[in-house]
Amino acid sequence: MKPKIAAQSGTFESSDVIFLIEPLPDNSGRKLEISSTVMQQFGANFNRIVLEMLDQYEMTDIHLIAKDKGALEPTIKARLETAIKRSLDEQEGTLK
Amino acid sequence: MTFEDTDFRQETLDLDNPFDLKLVKDFLAGLGFEFDPVEVECTMIVYNLKGELVGTGSHLGRILKYVAVAPKFRDTTAFALIVTYMTEKLLKIYKHTFVFTRPENSVRFRGLGFTEIATAEPLYALLEFGFESIFTFQDYLKALLVPVKTENVAAMVVNCNPFTNGHKFLIEKAASENEILYLFVVEEDRSAFPFAVRWELIRKGIAHLKNVVMIKGGMYIVSGAIFPSYFLKHEAINDVMQKQAELDVKTFANYVVPVLGIKKRYVGTENYCKVTGAYNLAMKAILPSFGVEVIEVTRKASGSGDDNLPDYISASKVRKAIKHDQLESIVDFLPDSTREFLFSDASLEIRQKIKAGTGRH
Repeated sequence: MKPKIAAQSGTFESSDVIFLIEPLPDNSGRKLEISSTVMQQFGANFNRIVLEMLDQYEMTDIHLIAKDKGALEPTIKARLETAIKRSLDEQEGTLK
Repeated sequence: MTFEDTDFRQETLDLDNPFDLKLVKDFLAGLGFEFDPVEVECTMIVYNLKGELVGTGSHLGRILKYVAVAPKFRDTTAFALIVTYMTEKLLKIYKHTFVFTRPENSVRFRGLGFTEIATAEPLYALLEFGFESIFTFQDYLKALLVPVKTENVAAMVVNCNPFTNGHKFLIEKAASENEILYLFVVEEDRSAFPFAVRWELIRKGIAHLKNVVMIKGGMYIVSGAIFPSYFLKHEAINDVMQKQAELDVKTFANYVVPVLGIKKRYVGTENYCKVTGAYNLAMKAILPSFGVEVIEVTRKASGSGDDNLPDYISASKVRKAIKHDQLESIVDFLPDSTREFLFSDASLEIRQKIKAGTGRH
């Protein structure tokens, strides 16, 4: 699936992660920019979670930015799922 | 210790409402800010269940402003909450957001994931966050890079509002003295002549020069984000203006110069405009340490004026002539492309706007 709109989920807070997703032109694949305060120890794990989730939703032509502040796996998954669904225009943000 | 942010409520203020305005004004005054509602588009506040004000944030266009948290709540997540709220809102509209803050606060924004672009001690630090960044702009520059054999690589930044023989002379001179000239055109649409028109007039006017590469200035070369003073009317050079000029020049030196291998930057001497004067001053102070020579070229004069001084060509004089319906008097200032445009119906709307307007641009 392709993102329809730009979307954001999560926060800048500690123990959380913020995801930004925007659509890219057709056939441009995935562009990921992942940064984490715990990259050294958990970077590989973080990347794996993100890629699995993107595969699960078959996301392509997507630009994804992640700024992680040491979120746990369930948090990362929940935030990313929300960001994906928002970018597909299936779920709205709570903040207006 | 205060409770967690489940206690926090956030709300957008109605700045037309005097009570809302007073609320945020008083809060910010206590923290040393002078809140001016004209400088913002939208303001949000955060408060807790006891009705205490925790913090606030505002924005104008893509620039975050007046982000402040009361000292009592600085060990909470209020700051992150405000910035999250603002970026969520702005990134739906824009590709990225900027923050101007004092250098000592830069570390807080960096902690949230913002990237620092430049600092001008002791007044400003400029940071950004979003889908695009200055690296996107660098990629754009790399795509325009022309391989060179010599060190004669020059850059020039022009607004050309509108394009005159003075600009043409300067561009021709720089092009003749160098192997390649990168010509940055200010993209911000706050001038009387819109960007598309300015770009087109320059393109036609310099079509005979084969070693000039035209580049869009984007968000980083004399933009309203980095250098807001440039688009305002100022009588005297002040600190704010000087520091903003410094930010712009530092951004140019750090991010543009290395990508394009620029060795010289050409500027026209400035006799009329204080802001451009401040800008030239900042360039002379900063660029040489980055291996860029600043070459100031005396403006081209067209005969001599009434007061027996040389009549320097300037775009502001052209706009003045349009305002007073005296286009014929400055016809010598105009290259073919601009002359044709100004005497055609296509420019009618712009001319009327200049006649009605009072701004510097």
